[in-house]
Amino acid sequence: MASTERSLDTRAISRRVFLWSCATGASALAPVVRFGPHGAPMALAQPAGAPKKGGTLRVGFYIEAATMDPHLSGSKIDRQVYHNIYEPLVVLDTKLGIKPGLAESWQQPDAKTLIMKLRPGVKFHDGTDFNAEAVKFNFNRMKTEPKSVRKNEVASIESVEVLDPYTIKLNLRRPDAALLATLTDRAGMMVSPKVIQERGSELERNAKGAGTGPFQFAEWIKDDHILLKRNDTYWNKQGGPYLDQIRYRPIPDDTVKLQSLQAGEIHVMDYVQPRDVAAVKADKNLVVVDVPSLADFSYQLNHTKPPFQTKALRQALAYALDLQQIVKGVWLNVGVPANGPIPPTSWAYDSTIPPIKRDLAKAKAKLAEGGRPTGFSFTLTTPNLPINVQEAEVIQAQLGEVGITMKIKLVDAATQLSEGNNKNFEMISYQWSGRPDPDGNTFQFFKTSPGTSLNWSGISNPQIDALLDKTREVSSQPERKKLFSELTKILQDELPMVFIIHPIEPKAFSPRVQGYEAIPDGMMRFKDVWLK
Amino acid sequence: MGRLVLRRLVATVPVLLLVTAGVFALIHLTPGDPIDAMMAESVDATVKATLRRQLGLDQPIHVQYAVWMGRLLQGDLGRSIRNQEPVIENVRRRIRPSLQLAAFAMVISLVVAFPVGILSAARRNTPVDRINTTFALFGIYMPNFLIALLLIFLFGVTLRWLPISGYVDPFEEPLDGLRSLLLPAITLGLALAAVITRTLRSSMLEALAEDYVRTARAKGLSEGRVIRGHVLKNALIPVVTVLGLQLGTLIGGAVITEYVFALPGVGRLVVDAVFARDYPLVQGVILLIAVGFILSNLLVDLLYGWIDPRIRYR
Repeated sequence: MASTERSLDTRAISRRVFLWSCATGASALAPVVRFGPHGAPMALAQPAGAPKKGGTLRVGFYIEAATMDPHLSGSKIDRQVYHNIYEPLVVLDTKLGIKPGLAESWQQPDAKTLIMKLRPGVKFHDGTDFNAEAVKFNFNRMKTEPKSVRKNEVASIESVEVLDPYTIKLNLRRPDAALLATLTDRAGMMVSPKVIQERGSELERNAKGAGTGPFQFAEWIKDDHILLKRNDTYWNKQGGPYLDQIRYRPIPDDTVKLQSLQAGEIHVMDYVQPRDVAAVKADKNLVVVDVPSLADFSYQLNHTKPPFQTKALRQALAYALDLQQIVKGVWLNVGVPANGPIPPTSWAYDSTIPPIKRDLAKAKAKLAEGGRPTGFSFTLTTPNLPINVQEAEVIQAQLGEVGITMKIKLVDAATQLSEGNNKNFEMISYQWSGRPDPDGNTFQFFKTSPGTSLNWSGISNPQIDALLDKTREVSSQPERKKLFSELTKILQDELPMVFIIHPIEPKAFSPRVQGYEAIPDGMMRFKDVWLK
Repeated sequence: MGRLVLRRLVATVPVLLLVTAGVFALIHLTPGDPIDAMMAESVDATVKATLRRQLGLDQPIHVQYAVWMGRLLQGDLGRSIRNQEPVIENVRRRIRPSLQLAAFAMVISLVVAFPVGILSAARRNTPVDRINTTFALFGIYMPNFLIALLLIFLFGVTLRWLPISGYVDPFEEPLDGLRSLLLPAITLGLALAAVITRTLRSSMLEALAEDYVRTARAKGLSEGRVIRGHVLKNALIPVVTVLGLQLGTLIGGAVITEYVFALPGVGRLVVDAVFARDYPLVQGVILLIAVGFILSNLLVDLLYGWIDPRIRYR
């Protein structure tokens, strides 16, 4: 392994010759990913016996999907369905490496050009061909459609050229080391141009014929279920799809969802609350898969007004927090304490940087340094959900020990977003679902940005800005990793956020479900899943 | 009668105006914004600004209200911001489960409440009455969600007799439909039965003390005939009032029950719309719920005249 890594180092990085080869070779060449404390993502144990075709997999979700149009989608739940209907140009493997998807291979002759060879013989569910024109059409729609939510993600793409029917060239506005990772999700998903042209506005509700994936959209009965059926002409003849159908159902109450799983009404539950994990693991009729996530749960500190415009007071707060206790007591160890925004699942995670350790003496010294030796008081804005409230109460008690008084203001999600966007808070909860490339967990939060952005803290630090820009320009993974380590250390000092936990997202299954492989982006891909 | 209905309907206009203005002000004054709520993870300010302009959300609030009112007068409730479908279509889809659940719950509550209430009144201060009163208190004070979870645990998980959650339309698949509505209907019906039992018992006790009851007994009528022929009918007015008020609550306010059983009803529609700050949807649905309340109260008033001919409307 080490040699693979080194050989990549020397070559990769002169990105000009950075060449990824096609399907067969790609997994060997894929970047070696180092794994975090909680180890590799698990998969469901493979039983003896060959996979069996047939059956309907019933999946319980907490909420209904919002739209079937990946270019207009802004909600996480949509992606769960998309990853079975649509396919991105490139896909993630279990270690967040990038593998060929609809693109067989790709190369970067220079930092601002990405040439992709597309997979021939792939058809959309409506029977039309997937080809370079289709890719160009999709990128243009993402860039120009007024309601497109993908604009930012494809902002670095200046133009798309069709070199031949199965080769496209993306001309970039600026170097973008995170682009390939971005193309593993909605921004890389290809929709049938014919479907968009003929019934584009209807696509939000009806994705018939729109994708190329192992399952095709069958129906969506609003508020009731979404039904997918097997794509029998799927291009990839290895493995599945085995299931006849997948049926997604929203069940908003977590307890009821778990009971539905226990009673066999559903086979898969998208997320198990930490409070239920122990009980579910003890239940022999259920199987739990711990999926380490890309998420980063933290609190943003407002740098634009007192008390947290004073660095020493931010540090006093950080030293007064006991992350171990929060992770153990509130999250019941369904996650690990965070040392920064980058999760242990990422290749960029630096395990040599410890999370900030509780040190009451230091906290008191910092309070004195910040001119508030006896403490100060402030308000935390946080969602009115049980686990958030519990966490807030634990933090309140911890801070009380050094004389910091924290008031808790409970809000709903829409209020939280509005308070954050308007910088109308002192400390505010932020739970980011995470992105496969560390860029997605850092740039938009810490880069100086006037106006509305996810940089709610208002941090503006030339050193951080320069580092962030550099992480986008450099393509060598080891070099980027060094930059992100440096960034993490500065963040621990500057504290635009206090980082709390990288949660695990456990999913629970009926023992009948076989062949599920978990990828840390939390999306459930059912191509190779079958029912015993 | 016709004039009464007309007069009552005209009188609802100012009520509805107040409701719309109140809801409009409240939902717009709540922090948060539909576009942010919809695109939580996107930061593209220009996309958001374009959408806000398209939806007229950049206008001052009184202008937005005037525009909304103008459309309403033409019979247009607008479209949901979140799913782009007309408000009326959203309601049409959600009203069926809500009405069916309300009707089913009401039937269950009546079937339980009448025998229990009558028995309690007739056997006042006996052990039977005390057991019934305890049952009524239990129904009133047990939170909905707890009854729901207990029912699910018993009939869904342990015995596996009934489905745990979800909705099947009984008009399409009668058996599965009734099965899917049974647990939620019991949940709502028990609480309602408790209220009706209490009301029925006390109004019957009042009627039992009337002179005409003494007269009927003196005539030698059996106790059963006294209760059926004289007491019950006179005790019905308060019960009908309670039923009328509860019907509106059952249709628009069964949020918790709908949430727990994953039923796509009107109550959840409103709550989800509030969380999404889906202004047109919130306004439209609450307006329709208000209309529903007013109509069910009107129905109750008309029923009064039918039950008790002494009540005459002019």
